[in-house]
Amino acid sequence: MSFNHIVIQNILRDKWTYVSYFLSSMFSIIIFFLFTVIVFHPSLAGLDPDSTLGLALMLASLLVYLFSFIYIAYSIMAFLKKKTKTLGIFMITGASMKQIRTLVFRENILIGVLAIITAIVLGLVISPLFLMGAKVVLNAEAFGMYFPIKAIMITIGLFLVLFVAISKVMTKFINKEASIQLLKSDVVIEKSIKPHYLLLFFSIIITLGLGYFLKIEHDIVGSLGLLFYAAFFLSVLCTIYLIISQGMRFTLKAFERSSAYMKQTNMLLASNLNAKMKSHANILFLITILLSGVFLCTSILFSSYYNVEKDSEANYPYSFQYIATPKADPSMVKADIKKIEEQLSTVDSQKYFIEFKSNEDHRLGYMSVSDYNLLHNEKISLGANEFIAVAGNHKTIPITNVSNDKYLKQFKLVYVNEKNLLTTGFQQTYFIVPDEVYNSIKYPVYKTYLFELDNWTAHTELAKKIIEDFPHIYEERYVTSKIELYDAEMFTKSVMFFIGSMLSLIFLSAAMSILYFYLQTTLLQEKEKYVGIRKLGLSKKELFTVVSKELAILIFVPFAIATTMLFATLFAMRTMVSTSFLQVSMMSSLCFFVLFFVSYIFIRKSYFKRLLSN
Amino acid sequence: MGNSILQVTNLQKEYIGEITYKALNGIDFQLGENEFVAVMGPSGSGKTTFLNSVSTIDRPTIGEILINGRNPYSLDDEELAKFRRSELGFVFQDFNLVHTLTVKENILLPLTLDSLPADKMQQRLQHVSQFLGIEELLSKRIYEISGGQKQRVAIARAVIHEPSLLLADEPTGNLDSKAVNDVMNLFSSIHTELKTSILMVTHDPYVASFANRIIFIKDGKLYNEIHRGHNRKQFYQEIMDTLAFLGGGQHEL
Repeated sequence: MSFNHIVIQNILRDKWTYVSYFLSSMFSIIIFFLFTVIVFHPSLAGLDPDSTLGLALMLASLLVYLFSFIYIAYSIMAFLKKKTKTLGIFMITGASMKQIRTLVFRENILIGVLAIITAIVLGLVISPLFLMGAKVVLNAEAFGMYFPIKAIMITIGLFLVLFVAISKVMTKFINKEASIQLLKSDVVIEKSIKPHYLLLFFSIIITLGLGYFLKIEHDIVGSLGLLFYAAFFLSVLCTIYLIISQGMRFTLKAFERSSAYMKQTNMLLASNLNAKMKSHANILFLITILLSGVFLCTSILFSSYYNVEKDSEANYPYSFQYIATPKADPSMVKADIKKIEEQLSTVDSQKYFIEFKSNEDHRLGYMSVSDYNLLHNEKISLGANEFIAVAGNHKTIPITNVSNDKYLKQFKLVYVNEKNLLTTGFQQTYFIVPDEVYNSIKYPVYKTYLFELDNWTAHTELAKKIIEDFPHIYEERYVTSKIELYDAEMFTKSVMFFIGSMLSLIFLSAAMSILYFYLQTTLLQEKEKYVGIRKLGLSKKELFTVVSKELAILIFVPFAIATTMLFATLFAMRTMVSTSFLQVSMMSSLCFFVLFFVSYIFIRKSYFKRLLSN
Repeated sequence: MGNSILQVTNLQKEYIGEITYKALNGIDFQLGENEFVAVMGPSGSGKTTFLNSVSTIDRPTIGEILINGRNPYSLDDEELAKFRRSELGFVFQDFNLVHTLTVKENILLPLTLDSLPADKMQQRLQHVSQFLGIEELLSKRIYEISGGQKQRVAIARAVIHEPSLLLADEPTGNLDSKAVNDVMNLFSSIHTELKTSILMVTHDPYVASFANRIIFIKDGKLYNEIHRGHNRKQFYQEIMDTLAFLGGGQHEL
């Protein structure tokens, strides 16, 4: 009987322990694989790796990989815990620590390899469906099926490395004393959480301080850069963990002293929580973190998706904007405009032909009030030495100080319009002046032809064609279109949205499966306990109450903490984000609540059923 | 003998499977007030099934069980749970203590489920722990105490609500000989001082000799019944003799 024989028999004889470990590993590999199938899709091959989209994809795959790492490490930990007794028996019979480590290492590699192979086979089966989904969400025709050789290679490579690394590291955690202790008695007694109220206090102070810096002292944040964010992130994590563990300890201790403790099933519930305080706290922490990830992900992505139309319009106010500089050949401009008008003849559109003069050194534009009125469909009249300042950049307040201006020195500002007049960034600010003043200004004239289409988001094909036909000619003509911008942005945002929803889905299912495995590992112990108490006279209803409350704590406490954090973040950022963001967050939280409630009912029912079954 | 606490009439239990197996085949039995009865028999004779039927854990196929004049099998789940924790006390071979609770909490468990007032709980706890000599264990956790102590705690839990019937299933099965003596002396004093009726299943003639009366079950039927006189040694001999007739009994010793 060789050593490998023992390795294999050890797995086969204890199938179910290994199956749950195998499944959770496989699950995270499939997710990663599907993700890489998208990332390396031929139709994304032209993507610039430095663009938002390229970066987002890179970051997301990194995140998924990191997540898989944590998830698999967690599964191995849970699995090792379950196997500790068997390992203790091996040790008692004379296996050395080195042999035990080799045994565990080989087992893990064997399972890892099997999980990788199964995941890729399953992934290949699912991927056409997955790509079809991506095609619908991304609104891209090109997302066809292909044989993802690159994705397969990368998945195999990365996860083999991961399994070898994790198994090597994890075998160091096999605790000789704990294993032998387990042989003596079947029950593992958890050490309860020690009070660390001072630590909790300091960690809250530090996090709040760093958060305050983030909001107020941009210089310090800027100079420390990534380091600051890492520190902030770490301190937030520590604070959350301490709040959860210390809060749990405090609540339980307080509850133990209250008169309600000895009433009905309260004692059973509290003692359950008390006995598993540490592992409960760990689970609550893990789920809270995963949920916070989900909430932030969805809120940010949904809201960015939501604002594309508005954002495009804010940057490029018109469907088509054709600016001819003084250097442009007038005959070319005439021909161009004729061609554009021809192409737009089939759709309803308004045309505005206006002009402005530009102080090219300072990129300041001057426009007559009658042209301004024409654009805005208004009837403003200005006094002889009055002017209006209009923004030239999106989200930048226009210049209002004209004391050094050649023409406007003595003029009085009557109104500031912060909405940018033409394509963002073309001029810094436009000064609207009375027609007579405009005529006296001696700066070069920029002829501007504007076309506004009804129902503009529907004309992306037309926009693409026009932008293609009339490329920028440096210092002669500039053609921009909000429709084209919208289309490009829309694609980026849908890919981001897709990535975001994938990530949320992953985090969410991870949170649920972690909970599931957690319940699974303690099921036998719990069952035995409740069978005993049932004999003494605990009705099903009372048992149901205990189980319901315990599960509710495991599921809804993380939910409550994550939601609180989300809204705290939103509140802190309220000046930077629009109200639509808040609405979207509310909606998504509500959706998640429904989702959670349904899973709670479902988990509770199956868990209760299994507690009672023989 | 007085009134009967437990009245069993024509108790039958069939396990239906590929081969239908009759574990109990018509048992009639009465347990009077303040009686201490041991149930003996070879393994597979049906003694544990008998106890489980009486314990309201295992529903009989045919027959009636009345405890204090009430039929527990006519109750629904909730009423049955209440009935168990008010009328019955249980002592198991494997103690059946809840590891997550302290000794004190384990003992109080049946009372908390009924939400008794705190002062009343404390009063009863004091009484019982004094009686069983486990006062210094109260704040300990279950894993910190020995097997004999565990069984004492289990007994304390079984009697704290002053049940009319104490049911014990091999209460000494997991104990060493010194602990066996301790625990059995406790049963005797519960019987004599608390006036609790006891029904105990055991295969150990020494343990059984603490009872007033022993019924022997064989092949699901009542086989014999012996009563104790004044001398326990003599009673022990009588038990051994009956077991010899019964066959198989000694081998289990």
